[in-house]
Amino acid sequence: MLKFFDSSLTGSGKFHKAITDPVNLVMLILLVILAYLVIWPFIQLLIETLTWGDRDRRISPDAVPGKFTSFYWQQATSGPLSRKMLYGPLLNTLITGVTATIMALLAGGVLAWCVVRSDMPGKRWLQPVLTLPYIVPSFAIALAWEAVFRSPKVGGQPGIYEALLGVGPPEWLSYGAFPISITLAIHYFPFAYLLVAGALATIDSQMEESALISGAGRLMTLRRITFPVVAPAFLAALILTFGKTIGQFALPFILGAPAQFHTVATMVYANLTLGLDALAFVLAIVLIGMSLISIWLSNRFVGNKTRRFETISGKGFRSREIALGGWRWPIFIAVALFAFVVGILPLILLGVQSIMLIDGFYGLENLTKHFWVGRSNPDIAFGEPGVLHNNIILGATWNTLKLAFISAIIASVIGLVIAYITVRRAHNPLARALDQIAFIPFLFPTIAFGAMYLTLFAEPVGPIPALYGTFTLLVIISVVSRLPYSVKTGVTAVTQIGQELEEAAELAGASWVMRFRRIIMPLSSSGVLSGMMVSFVGVMRELSLIVLLITPSTRVLMTVGFGYAEEGLTQLSNALVLIVAVLTIIGELILMWIGKGKMARLREKQS
Amino acid sequence: MSKIYVRNLTKTYGGLKALNNVSLDIESGEFLVLLGPSGCGKTTLLRCLAGLETPDEGEIIMGEKVVFSAALNIMVPPGKRNLGMVFQSYALWPHMTVRDNVKFGLDVLKTPTPVANTRLDDVLGDVGLGALGERYPSELSGGQQQRVALARLLATQPPIFLMDEPLSNLDARLRMDMRVELKRFQSNAKATTVYVTHDQTEAMTMSTRVVVMKDGEIQQISPPDQLYRQPENTFVADFVGMPRINLIELTAENNVSPCYSNGDLSLDIGWVPGCSHITVGARPEDISIKDKTVSGEENFKISAVLPNGPETIVQLTRGKTTLITRVSHDSKFVEGQTVDLSFNVNALNIYATKTGSLIMRDPVEDLKAC
Ligand SMILES: Nc1ncnc2c1ncn2[C@@H]1O[C@H](COP(=O)(O)OP(=O)(O)OP(=O)(O)O)[C@@H](O)[C@H]1O
Ligand SMILES: [Mg+2]
Repeated sequence: MLKFFDSSLTGSGKFHKAITDPVNLVMLILLVILAYLVIWPFIQLLIETLTWGDRDRRISPDAVPGKFTSFYWQQATSGPLSRKMLYGPLLNTLITGVTATIMALLAGGVLAWCVVRSDMPGKRWLQPVLTLPYIVPSFAIALAWEAVFRSPKVGGQPGIYEALLGVGPPEWLSYGAFPISITLAIHYFPFAYLLVAGALATIDSQMEESALISGAGRLMTLRRITFPVVAPAFLAALILTFGKTIGQFALPFILGAPAQFHTVATMVYANLTLGLDALAFVLAIVLIGMSLISIWLSNRFVGNKTRRFETISGKGFRSREIALGGWRWPIFIAVALFAFVVGILPLILLGVQSIMLIDGFYGLENLTKHFWVGRSNPDIAFGEPGVLHNNIILGATWNTLKLAFISAIIASVIGLVIAYITVRRAHNPLARALDQIAFIPFLFPTIAFGAMYLTLFAEPVGPIPALYGTFTLLVIISVVSRLPYSVKTGVTAVTQIGQELEEAAELAGASWVMRFRRIIMPLSSSGVLSGMMVSFVGVMRELSLIVLLITPSTRVLMTVGFGYAEEGLTQLSNALVLIVAVLTIIGELILMWIGKGKMARLREKQS
Repeated sequence: MSKIYVRNLTKTYGGLKALNNVSLDIESGEFLVLLGPSGCGKTTLLRCLAGLETPDEGEIIMGEKVVFSAALNIMVPPGKRNLGMVFQSYALWPHMTVRDNVKFGLDVLKTPTPVANTRLDDVLGDVGLGALGERYPSELSGGQQQRVALARLLATQPPIFLMDEPLSNLDARLRMDMRVELKRFQSNAKATTVYVTHDQTEAMTMSTRVVVMKDGEIQQISPPDQLYRQPENTFVADFVGMPRINLIELTAENNVSPCYSNGDLSLDIGWVPGCSHITVGARPEDISIKDKTVSGEENFKISAVLPNGPETIVQLTRGKTTLITRVSHDSKFVEGQTVDLSFNVNALNIYATKTGSLIMRDPVEDLKAC
């Protein structure tokens, strides 16, 4: 055990010192807690799929609860239901995931080039609009799509498409692989855009100029220099985007379930609602497997290369914009139009839908404020009162804010502590283990992670009471799922704080807790604050993670909105999702504002 | 054959004139250095020569060929100008091995593979990278990266070399070695070279001529020794030389006398420039000091002694005047000491205080004075 602590320490006195070092103590405690919250749930999930459950006597006469069985895996992989249960959804997941990823990357790549490398006008305000689809819940885009292409053939009222054209849209346009791929692409292209833009911004334009001087033409330069240099980042973006699409639950559910189109993620949910828990868990593990494979691939193909391809940027780095010439304005108009259609139009559609008395009937006399401010009226929406008088919704709003706020703060503080340990104890294997455990939630598709927590804390464990259905459980899972991000933010912040600053405090006699509180926290505050805001927004729009864990008393806006959408109460679900979208946009604006303030302060310091 | 003519070149960025009516003839095979403070337009001029920047006005002719002309609306693209460039950041392509980086230019020229391979081996051998051909740029040290950039330039044997602070990312030792090598490659290739630097030593040791620029305008074009001995205005005088030149503003005692003073110091410059307010440029080595023998009025006090290897820099003060002089390292001056000083009058340059420009000493008048 001794060698895990400071290697310079030998002898029992030193051992005593190592064990009483508060950093080591905190490290050990965090390790145990995180192992319990991250690794154990996965093992438990695996065990659940390999043992008979309490109620399984009715499935098979020789089911002994708690005994090993491969029944569920066999059922999922080779049983008569396997096509419907596993292979169909698997194929659907791959098709929609790959299609969406390719579209997202193409759109994101082209836009990134326009914004970063060309002299297209209006970049300053196009950029935030282009990131809108990723900021709002993915679910919002699905609802907006539905508002346009809803088809009465499947059920419900006609959408805008039918109202305008008089004929219903073909079914492939309303539900299934096509709309799911498109909306996933719309939701994720900003993610790809940000990754590629980051890579493009690090290109030294002298690299391209050098090729031009050698006599290479613009196209040859693009082909032989620019593309290869961003290729690794592009590939990484491709795989990360794919990994994100497969975990999406709400969006494929809204646009797929009405037509019996299932992905693995929606199948997990469907099985759980049918009470087929073990099967759902099998699918969750399949989903985790897909995610792990994609991350492994990305590390394998990209990891080594990026390090090698690292652009060497020293003194003299230049990034110059490429003149579009006569294409400047046409390209601007195309990009602005695109930004409007994917960024703003969906929100407008949701807004309009939420004030229509009778869904699908388009006319001024059909407009109503009822779904926002109306009192309960048994003739409308089964007597559900308008959003602003609806106690369920007010409660959910309160829960949402509370959950996002508490989780963001806890995640940031724990993230900072873990980051501190990782940076300052870089040579301690336990510190590295802690860092890696904190990263693992990133590998779990959110719906699968939610499924794991179904069984965790279902019964009291030692001093911990059963937590299923409590708000605490939501906080715990939200915090753990944010840790990979908050640790990363923390590492960036802590790395910038010189060791000497802390040593000076140590010489002055400050204890570790005091140093952490008085030196590390204030100095990293601006970075951690924006990380906190990112977590806040992230938790607020989260659905897949917690949808399985929600009970009536812990409802949040997203789950209520999802519930309404499932029941066909379109206006209410639209109104709710719109509220979440507006809240997240406000969050992002605050974030931008914090960022700007920080920049201004830095500039002041320099001058 | 690869003479370069630059005529009335102007380049503006927004409202800022990065180049203002720059004209310059560069001789074939010359090593021309562009020198000047940050932001004076050196890089801009170089990039205009390379064709990476389009000037607003003027003309550039390389050899017989007009490569740029605003009036004739000619703009030959960089790849067609037959020149090579080393960037400050080296701009190595990170996704290509050292060999591929160097080979790229040959590929563009569609050089047959066997010829290209021989050439590559030669060039890589020459710059001392023979064994590192399969490495990637990120796996090289700064000095090695610099050599790759150089090899890339040499591979296609262009008659013109352009270099933008190619050594500024290297440490002092390495920079010194690379200077020698660069110079060797340049003279072997007999390439017309335009070289941008901040570093005066570099400018002085490598160049055949130096161009000093300020705010987009050329201040002086001279061989390095003349640049040092006879700066054409006070800006150049002040900019060139380390430690800095002493610029002493003096006023004529009367119109016909060669005697000038400023209250702390009076000086007989030996001729009459015909100006009542002059600025005397005296290099530190043109002022000599010796222990005070007789106590008199005109004595300076030593306010600082700064040993610097083979020489010692001594700062002298009297009233509002501060002078720097340079003495041998074994002299025994100490701070606080009072000294006599004398000027090497023949080495002084006289500038009109109002315009800052050099007043040429009329040789005829000089004779008369004798
Ligand atoms: N692309 C550009 N857009 C706007 N202004 C520019 C651009 N490139 C250069 N400038 C301006 O033109 C002036 C000259 O710049 P240049 O890069 O030629 O200076 P320099 O002499 O090379 O300086 P340094 O020694 O610092 O490299 C500077 O004031 C600079 O700010
Ligand atoms: Mg420059």
